[in-house]
Amino acid sequence: MKNKPQAAPTAIKKSAGTKVFNGISYVLLAFGAIVCVLPFIIIVSGSFTDNVTILKQGYSLFPRDFTLEAYRTIFRSPKDIIQAYKMNVYYTVVGTSIGLTMIALTGYVISRQEFKYRNTVSFLIYFTSIFGGGMIPWYLMYANVLNLKGHTLAIWFPALMSPFLVILMRTFIVGAVPNAITESAKIDGAGHFTIFFRIVLPVLKAGLATVGLFLALGYWNDWYRSSMFSTNSSTWQLQFYLYDLLNATTAMKQMASNVSMKTADLPTESVKLAMAVVATGPVLLFYPFVQRFFVSGITVGAVKG
Amino acid sequence: MKKRFFGVLMSLVLIVGMFTGCAGSGSKSAADQLDQQGVADIPVNNDQKTPAGAAAEGTNSADLSERVDLVFYVMGDAPKDEELVEATLNEKLIEKCNATVDMQFSTWTEFQQKYANEITSQGADLIYIANWLNYGLLASQGAFVELDDMLNTVAPELKAMVGENMLNMCKVDGKTYAVPNTWAEYVSNGLKYREDLRVKYNLPVPDSLENLEAYLAGIKANDPSQGLLTVTTEESQGFKTAFDAAWVLNFKYPWVNANGLDYGLTANYDTPSDVYDYWFSTDFEDDMKMLKRWADQGFWSKSALSDTNNSDAYKNGLCVAEVAGQNPNKQITAIADFTNAGEGWQSAYIAYGEKHNVIYPGHATQNGTAIVRGCKNPERALLVLQALLCDDEINSIMQYGIKGVHYTVENGIYKNLQEEKGETVTFPYEGFNTWNLRNGATKLPQATDVELQKMFDKYAEIGAKTKFPNVNIYDGFSENYESYSAERSAVSNVMRQYLAPLEAGLVDDVDAAIAEFRTKVKEAGLDKCREEYKKQWLDYCNEYNYK
Repeated sequence: MKNKPQAAPTAIKKSAGTKVFNGISYVLLAFGAIVCVLPFIIIVSGSFTDNVTILKQGYSLFPRDFTLEAYRTIFRSPKDIIQAYKMNVYYTVVGTSIGLTMIALTGYVISRQEFKYRNTVSFLIYFTSIFGGGMIPWYLMYANVLNLKGHTLAIWFPALMSPFLVILMRTFIVGAVPNAITESAKIDGAGHFTIFFRIVLPVLKAGLATVGLFLALGYWNDWYRSSMFSTNSSTWQLQFYLYDLLNATTAMKQMASNVSMKTADLPTESVKLAMAVVATGPVLLFYPFVQRFFVSGITVGAVKG
Repeated sequence: MKKRFFGVLMSLVLIVGMFTGCAGSGSKSAADQLDQQGVADIPVNNDQKTPAGAAAEGTNSADLSERVDLVFYVMGDAPKDEELVEATLNEKLIEKCNATVDMQFSTWTEFQQKYANEITSQGADLIYIANWLNYGLLASQGAFVELDDMLNTVAPELKAMVGENMLNMCKVDGKTYAVPNTWAEYVSNGLKYREDLRVKYNLPVPDSLENLEAYLAGIKANDPSQGLLTVTTEESQGFKTAFDAAWVLNFKYPWVNANGLDYGLTANYDTPSDVYDYWFSTDFEDDMKMLKRWADQGFWSKSALSDTNNSDAYKNGLCVAEVAGQNPNKQITAIADFTNAGEGWQSAYIAYGEKHNVIYPGHATQNGTAIVRGCKNPERALLVLQALLCDDEINSIMQYGIKGVHYTVENGIYKNLQEEKGETVTFPYEGFNTWNLRNGATKLPQATDVELQKMFDKYAEIGAKTKFPNVNIYDGFSENYESYSAERSAVSNVMRQYLAPLEAGLVDDVDAAIAEFRTKVKEAGLDKCREEYKKQWLDYCNEYNYK
């Protein structure tokens, strides 16, 4: 840093370095993008390919033997998938809105310097991200102590808050609202609610969008809690509906080595791929709208956190 | 400022107090419930005194005055009409035992973990058990209620129907913890092959190693582009084999079970307690050389070790035989698939045991029902189980759904009405996945079962002539590997790394590869595993008198 003024004449060299850096990063990013996008293209292409062709010739980038059969199969009895969709939207909306409110409020409280125990509380929150009880106590807690097994509450409640998101939100608040502003507001007679709703919330858009997106993606993509707590297939999350379809296929084929049971009517390769497309579609559409906040949110988090 | 803070704190304390208060009253109400049950017991006893003969339906001591709601945990996914069938079923169950059953399903996602959770949390009353769900180990750890006394007092009808013999096979440490189904089922592993191709090229029936080799080589000679075997490592995940092609060796040996015992030990069916070494024998060397020869002839892909199992390969004509993990039921499925495909393909099946006359039905612990420890009404649960298995009407609702809505019976054969009309099937055959409630005497056959039954009859005949007539002596054994689990997983790794390429014939020098495998597996701690395993196996043989 001290050399900076003297280094000014070497700006040309630097820009060459920058060019190289840019070149490398573009290549790396392009490679990364290809790695991310290719599998998805293969899924989409596979979903439009005839099942026997997939089995005989494997997957390809462009559909061979183009057919809509897989989608026809799915939407022939679309009731289940629509129900799973509905539940997923429900869990995502309820979970994200309640979770966001709780995280924002918690973040605000532990960001206040006048809150005497904020370090203790922060530590307690942070502590849970290092030490957890493990899966079986977690399961017993919800199933036996809270008696939530089979209840939809068990699916959205456990994921309302996470230490990472609370700390992220606190960082956002500290970064967005300098202490001086809240202090002057207080001098003008504002209480915590006024400060939170009239001063903090309006400048917290990026934070809310980031944490909200994290929460929403988490809810949208989760299948584990349905697997653990659902007792009725009409409450299943979308991802679990799809995941279980795959698992049922493999498990039943394996089981059939030991037990007499029917293995017909299992979904074919192309149907599975079409299901994946149907499930991920909305997220792809939704993503660009929040992405702008998401990117700014990540950078803010990185600098301040 | 501080005062305000304390105010907030105080109100927090009050709120917390309210919650704890709630919790307190909650536990009280639980206690109340217990009291109520206690209170309810008294009039019940009176009831019993007055109409003592009323409960004469084989239920001498059980009191039925209070309705009991049971949870029945089974594997797999729920049928669409779960609620409708449950309601119909419960109507009958209330009539008969004043109890209801709520079916809960594991789904096929992480079912092992969830099954363990279910037992830990004691959420269910009745539960499906099977040897592949570690019945023996769970029972010895006290997961289930002992049934011996209750079977005599509560459910003598059930005991008589299942029979002492079958119940004995479910014994763990001398106590019965499960009630098996009573349908003798043969899952005799074997070889499924394309009969039409065999006839077309005039090849021998592949009923021995030599004939199988001739069959495969013959097809290759006539049609070089035809795939022969799609063998992978997926059906060979245990401690017996590491590559699927090795299953064909069952043609050569009259072993106690397909692929012998674990850790390269084995015993013959006629002398189960005479355990001998296979991996360090000259037989093993010969066998590996044979598999190498087969691989060199191109019977399977050079990348077989990393391939994933394509279970539709046979159905789509990508291979001409399947050798691993096959059973009569899969043959039935293949017949149906080929009929649907309509290309004139035919599938035939040979059980490995046919060659040496070693055929036996599935073990009793393959499909059974247990009562989870912690069940509040074990007697009623057993009574319900008796009704589910023995009562014809209740059993058929449980297994097939509602007659006239879901199914009908034609000439003694089950027929799914919805499938017939091309509608979505809302309750398939055995829609609750209750393979544990199959009643051998009344089980309705499906159209495809006619063929299956023919195969079973053939096997039953062979099985009756064995030393232990129609008894599966292997599958009741459950290994407890707690004391050597580290060595065990090391051996598993060595098997995957060194035995799999050997059995796949994908090594250059077989003798060197065998020597390397033997050293590595010794280093991994094979001896310790073998010693313990053998001890447990011999104890088991001793207990059941399999000499």
